[in-house]
Amino acid sequence: MFRSSTLRLAALYTIAFAIAVVALGAVTLLTTRAALARQFDKRILFEAGAMAREYRAEGLSGVVQAVRERDRTPGALDYGLLAPGGGAMAGRLSAPGAPLGWSVIAVDDHRGEPERTRLYASVLPGGYRLLIGDDADRVEALDGVLIRAFVLAFLGVLVLGVAGGYGLSRGVERRITSINATAEAIIDGDLSRRVPVRGGDDELDRLAITLNRMLDRISGLMENLRQVSQDVAHDLRTPLTRLRQRLEASLASPAGPEAVEGALEDLDTILGTFAALLRISQIEGGARRAAFRATDLVDIARTVVDAFAPSAEDTGGSLSLEATGPAMIDGDPELLTQMLVNLVENALRHAGPAATVRVKCLPPERPRTGAQILVVDNGPGVPAGERARVFDRFHRLESSRSTPGNGLGLALLAAVARLHGAEVSLHDVNPGLEVRVAFPARD
Amino acid sequence: MKLLLVEDDRETAAYLKRALGEAGHVVDHAASGRDGLMLAAGEPYDVIVLDRMLPGLDGLAILRTIRAAKVKTPVLLLTAVGGIDDRVEGLEAGGDDYLVKPFAFAELLARVNALARRPPPRDIQTALRVADLEIDLLSRSVTRGGRRIDLQPREYQLLEYLMRHAGRVVTRTMMLESVWDFHFDPKTNIVETHMSRLRAKIARDGAPELIHTVRGAGYCVREP
Repeated sequence: MFRSSTLRLAALYTIAFAIAVVALGAVTLLTTRAALARQFDKRILFEAGAMAREYRAEGLSGVVQAVRERDRTPGALDYGLLAPGGGAMAGRLSAPGAPLGWSVIAVDDHRGEPERTRLYASVLPGGYRLLIGDDADRVEALDGVLIRAFVLAFLGVLVLGVAGGYGLSRGVERRITSINATAEAIIDGDLSRRVPVRGGDDELDRLAITLNRMLDRISGLMENLRQVSQDVAHDLRTPLTRLRQRLEASLASPAGPEAVEGALEDLDTILGTFAALLRISQIEGGARRAAFRATDLVDIARTVVDAFAPSAEDTGGSLSLEATGPAMIDGDPELLTQMLVNLVENALRHAGPAATVRVKCLPPERPRTGAQILVVDNGPGVPAGERARVFDRFHRLESSRSTPGNGLGLALLAAVARLHGAEVSLHDVNPGLEVRVAFPARD
Repeated sequence: MKLLLVEDDRETAAYLKRALGEAGHVVDHAASGRDGLMLAAGEPYDVIVLDRMLPGLDGLAILRTIRAAKVKTPVLLLTAVGGIDDRVEGLEAGGDDYLVKPFAFAELLARVNALARRPPPRDIQTALRVADLEIDLLSRSVTRGGRRIDLQPREYQLLEYLMRHAGRVVTRTMMLESVWDFHFDPKTNIVETHMSRLRAKIARDGAPELIHTVRGAGYCVREP
């Protein structure tokens, strides 16, 4: 329980508040006490002055009468009038030894018990002494009231602090426990679990959202890895088997260099597929964003069209570039080039001989949209039902089974597009297919 | 030429050493990074062929060390990791060329030959000449037998690259990399297509062919 950091924090705050309450109480007590003592002393001095005036006006008998009168009044101060020889003349107080000015002496009260009295002794003309006193414990009695009030407040702070801290730590602990449980479940292999989000947008929710995004990324990478190993098994086993058979056959009937050449060709195909798979998985790993820089799609398109136009022309087709102005994006030129090469090769292959393929670069149409690159051919197109699946690894249209290609071209296109945050869409342009890659707006 | 081969795989090293020897080179072999570094720093070589992944001291560390020691010998890096960034990393560490395993021996040989430095020309080169074919590097104009030949920019680049390596084999991949900056293998034979156009343009009635096809390797421009 005390290993909960929230509880520790709440306890710390409670202690700090309690100390503050005690300090406040002490200061209040001291200042109140001093103020009260000053006020009581002022009352005594005022009475002494009043008696001196009485003496001047009425003489000794006036003072004696005044003292007796006050003695009878409840709640009044204590008085005593002494003759020059020290004999008591009036009043309850008689302390012949009391020095002039302030002192504290013990006086028997009306019940005969000793009582501490704060005494002020003054001399009237003629040598008479006037004593005026007050119960010295009256200030301390008030102290008691104050201290009780502060002890109550102190207890209140303690109770609220402990209860609040406990409640707070339980709430936080419940949510931490749920994060922990999710993590444990993932460690045990259930990667689909996510940390629950309460929707309060507090710091724990933000933490949960970040953790969930991290988990999404991790499971994406795991999925990618799984996919790659599956693909490797799926698409490399067949050609490897073929290669093995070829080598076995050449062993049985000693063949010329043609057999070895064929085997080398098989091997190169396998290596090509392998390289393409690795490249796709590397792109999907997303580690390439660091290489992004301002890139003009038109430059890339020009290089690719320049490179492939002669091949297209040799088969009776054409490959052309249409661009109005620069189409800038943030991207990786090498990957974009490879992506466009795949698109163009795909279009030339699918549209067959006499293919007319156009590459179009469009600058951003409106603010907040990005540049686009389009590859339009005049081939048979892709049936609507197949359009989503052409981006899968190794997916090949039935019609293209007989043509060369490893079925990875469009998967690579999809991976590069995803890395750039671009959207790929296929459109029927009757006749022909338009592949449109729309990049996001630049920051 | 005198070559240094730093390769830890015994079989690969033996094969390369024999094959490079048959191609007329003298090959020293180092099986570990440490030996490789000692030889590279101590002996003058024409080209160093350096495997990137070595036990102990890896290839990039060796490369950085010998470059820091002002050894300017051209280095061809061999690697089994064909990652996109790995090539850039290798070139930044001071490598001159980069070849991903597995490779055809012809490719390695062509690249080693291309890397070997020829004695520097006494004057700054302003023209390249093979037989009666001449490129003026300043005006970027091509003539054969005094007659001017019009080339597309790419065709010019292709020819210039071949002529700069005149007498040596240039592979398809080398051309894809240097002329088009394509660091992957397109399915279409674009090099062959461009090459046949270039050949057609520089062909002259009665004059011998200057661009030769080297079977299983690539192309070579040389005097007939």
